[in-house]
Amino acid sequence: MKVPRPLRRLLPASVSASLLRLAAAFLGLFALALTLSPAVRQRSLLPLAELRWAHWLGVVVWVLALFWLDRRTRERLPNRDPFIIPVAGLLAGWGLLTIWRLTFEFGLRQTAWLAVSCALFVLALRLRERILPMLRRYKYVWLLAGLLITALTFLFGTNPSGIGPDLWLGCCGLYFQPSELLKLLLIIYLAAYLADRQPLMTGLLPLLAPTAVMTGAVLLLLMVQRDLGTAWVFIFIYTILIYIAAGKRRVLLASAVVLILAMVAGYELVGLVHARIDSWLNPWVDPTNRSYQIVQALMAIAAGGMFGRGPGLGSPGFVPVAHSDFIYTSIVEESGLLGAIALLALIAFLVVRALRISLHARDAYQRYLAIGLAAYIASQSLLIIGGNIRMLPLTGVTLPFVSYGGSSMLISFFALLLLCLVSHDGVHRAAPVLNSRPTLIIAGLLLGAFALAAVITGWWGVARGPDLLTRTDNARRGLSDRYVWRGALLDRDFQLLSRTGGSASQYTRDYVEPSLGNVLGYSHPQFGQSGLEDGLDPILRGEERQPAWGLWLSHILYGQPSPGLDVQLSLDRELTLQSMQALEGQRGAAVVMDAASGEVLALASQPGFNASTVGEDWQSLLESEYSPLMNRAVQGAYPPGGVLGPWLLAAARNQDLLPEPELETSYLLNGTTLECTQPPSEMEWDALIAAACPGALAQLGLALGEQNLLTLYSALGLYTAPSVPLRQPSFAAPASLPRPGEAATGQAGMLVSPLQMARVAATLSNGGQLPAAQLALAVKDASGEWQPYTEPSAAQAVLTSAAAFSQAQRLAAEDAPIWELRTTAQGASGLHYTWYLAGSLSRGSQPARVVVVLLEGSSPQQAAAIGRQVLLTALGE
Amino acid sequence: MAELPAYILLGLRALMALALYGFLAWCFLTLWRELKQQALNLARQRIPALLVTQDAASEQLRFATAEVTLGRHPSCEWVLADETVSSRHARLVFHHDHWWLEDLGSRNGTFLNGDALSAPVVLTNQDHIRCGQVSFTLHIEALPQAAPQTQEQA
Repeated sequence: MKVPRPLRRLLPASVSASLLRLAAAFLGLFALALTLSPAVRQRSLLPLAELRWAHWLGVVVWVLALFWLDRRTRERLPNRDPFIIPVAGLLAGWGLLTIWRLTFEFGLRQTAWLAVSCALFVLALRLRERILPMLRRYKYVWLLAGLLITALTFLFGTNPSGIGPDLWLGCCGLYFQPSELLKLLLIIYLAAYLADRQPLMTGLLPLLAPTAVMTGAVLLLLMVQRDLGTAWVFIFIYTILIYIAAGKRRVLLASAVVLILAMVAGYELVGLVHARIDSWLNPWVDPTNRSYQIVQALMAIAAGGMFGRGPGLGSPGFVPVAHSDFIYTSIVEESGLLGAIALLALIAFLVVRALRISLHARDAYQRYLAIGLAAYIASQSLLIIGGNIRMLPLTGVTLPFVSYGGSSMLISFFALLLLCLVSHDGVHRAAPVLNSRPTLIIAGLLLGAFALAAVITGWWGVARGPDLLTRTDNARRGLSDRYVWRGALLDRDFQLLSRTGGSASQYTRDYVEPSLGNVLGYSHPQFGQSGLEDGLDPILRGEERQPAWGLWLSHILYGQPSPGLDVQLSLDRELTLQSMQALEGQRGAAVVMDAASGEVLALASQPGFNASTVGEDWQSLLESEYSPLMNRAVQGAYPPGGVLGPWLLAAARNQDLLPEPELETSYLLNGTTLECTQPPSEMEWDALIAAACPGALAQLGLALGEQNLLTLYSALGLYTAPSVPLRQPSFAAPASLPRPGEAATGQAGMLVSPLQMARVAATLSNGGQLPAAQLALAVKDASGEWQPYTEPSAAQAVLTSAAAFSQAQRLAAEDAPIWELRTTAQGASGLHYTWYLAGSLSRGSQPARVVVVLLEGSSPQQAAAIGRQVLLTALGE
Repeated sequence: MAELPAYILLGLRALMALALYGFLAWCFLTLWRELKQQALNLARQRIPALLVTQDAASEQLRFATAEVTLGRHPSCEWVLADETVSSRHARLVFHHDHWWLEDLGSRNGTFLNGDALSAPVVLTNQDHIRCGQVSFTLHIEALPQAAPQTQEQA
């Protein structure tokens, strides 16, 4: 009989063949992309031998096996559902290539398992008439045999990976997981039993009694085995089948209650369950240990984003067990949300076809069988995908057809065979459906769950993605540093300080001045970035100040940022090195600043570390009690003590609030007597302030009052972090200063950094103007032009020019053209600190420069010697 | 030139997405066609008409729709104004090439050739049905000429 043309396209043969051809085209393109991926990673044209070729073996085996299987099925079961073989085949091929991409050896094994599964499928087709009745007839035998084999794992169980529950049987490199088979045997048993009971079905009890005993036995076995994922799948399958058979919604409710109770009980009693649920609820608390897998999995999804990194271009291997439990995240990382939606749609389509097969089934037994298989595919997929995306607690089950594993592959194809048999039998002889509502409700629930999984994948991949990728435990950043040129750090005269060395794929960070580690920072694949390497990271890494299209192109082509940009710093290389040397042996910091522009010419902090060997020294650096990783000049916060005296005095003079000095020079604060740094030369304000006498400071504070003091400190920028690209403590303004006398001593809780003090000092050499601090001057943009790092910000007047000038004169040194001030301060913990501030005196021919030295400990002479030496060098004396 | 592999790979990825979504689209397109075909087939399907004769009356009724509901309620296709008949008493449905009789939970029950109905049953020519106290005989008209049904075969 001639079939009309529009109809011909509907025939099962032509549908499955054309779908299979499309699947083959997809896999061929996938394989080709994988072949090319090394060249893209290296960003160069590689010789053919260096490309990936091995996985084509998998493609060839897939094409031969699946087309052969489809042809045989078409001959033997002409009325089978035409969709399920191509859909399952596409899933299996997608998984196979992903596994090849991850590990060569597993790819080889999975290819062998695919061939074996297909061969057994075709062999079983010869028995097509007998399989379903045979399974039904000996249902107890099958189930008991399955239980027995599973129980054998108690005696002979092993784990191929060496750790974890012993759920496998086997030897000599060939392993089988009996609990996979047990799933199908339970479905067969339940379907047969429920179909036998169908005519007598009166209530729940006769349905439940024997099945509950058998299912309970299975569950108990699995609980003892700690195979909790499989136990969960069993509960799902059992619930769905009983619900379909009984048609009572309370079955679903009861099952939900049982599941929740089991979870609570497991949480309290079983350590493994406790850990799993904890890491599900709070993965961010413990991301390096228990939650390592899930946090890494979420970052892999984030790395995928919308379109994925491309085959072979992501780093799915960072997630442990990526080939089996976490194959979903591997796929999402390389094919993105777009691929994830397609994958979920394929699985959901398979499930819906299985439900449709069940509705069209010939009798109740085949109907329940098909529903059980649908429940198996759906629940196992949802459980592992849900675990991967933090929708559900993580359980170690496989993704049917996709995950690595011989047992999983065999059982998946066995399920496919059963579905083909049921669908072939049922087409024109469907048994009447008494109540179709439960099937529709189950279909709705399952489809809703798949849609939810897609939405949650999108949430991690697109909405939360950018945040997740900046995490320091994202190893992809370190990896991309090996492939993307990182910008150099240059000093103000364009001398190299840190630069990129090596060639693409092996880029390293070379530190031209490694001793400046705690100023310039390091960029280490394991420990991340610090210092200026951290503060300027987005520019050096090529994520900022790039043309938008260039960024987008690098992202879509390589999944990496553009080549990074060089940054010119305000630091003077020689002066910084000299400052570091001058501080050698001390614990402290030094800052040299250009008073007019606020440019930081030198920044030094001791003890320091060698940036070139930070990886090797890491542990000792962390454990050192002197915190060598800290940049004391910027991150250190110290009590100012009397170092702010000149500014208090100038403010009091300016407002005509200056009282007569009292004779008491010391000050009693919290039971400690604070003394002058040096004996005052005379009992007169300027001398008392130069000697940093706390009694005089307290008197000034009282005279000025709370409001004036707050205004002054705020104007001097002591409540704000200087605008440099370095991490700094927060210097928040207090709501009030209830005891202005104590506050003015600078030893009652207020803390400042040496960099802040450098700005303050600059006002005396800069006509009372407070400059904004600058550490980065310019950035070399993508076209090679130097562009300013920031728009210059205007200096703010703190003192009048005359007041600044006269104040500086009063602090003038006798033997050099500078003003200077040295004080000691005592911190809340009783530790002593020494400040030395100095600056050039006149604004004549010389550039105005200031220096701030801070030493931990009380050593004013030493601080002055260091400060003078550095300042005079800076002034070119 | 070093960028060339990256651009080729980008093209491959676009084609991959096309193939993948092509696969899905083809699945849904085929389903849609199947659905349309089924609708067409059903519309073309010929239903053998039912001729019913009430035992108490001589008039003969003819039904050619796929579903006939019996009952006292005016919305039923066949209204039986009798105290012993429930408002929606029973249903005659044609599917799977047969007319089926189904009780709709009536108070006084539905009987086929004297036996009470508990599940849907297939009807044959000259069957005798009783709903409450109303009884009637069925006659199923033969189809004049069965059109050859299209069979799905490879």
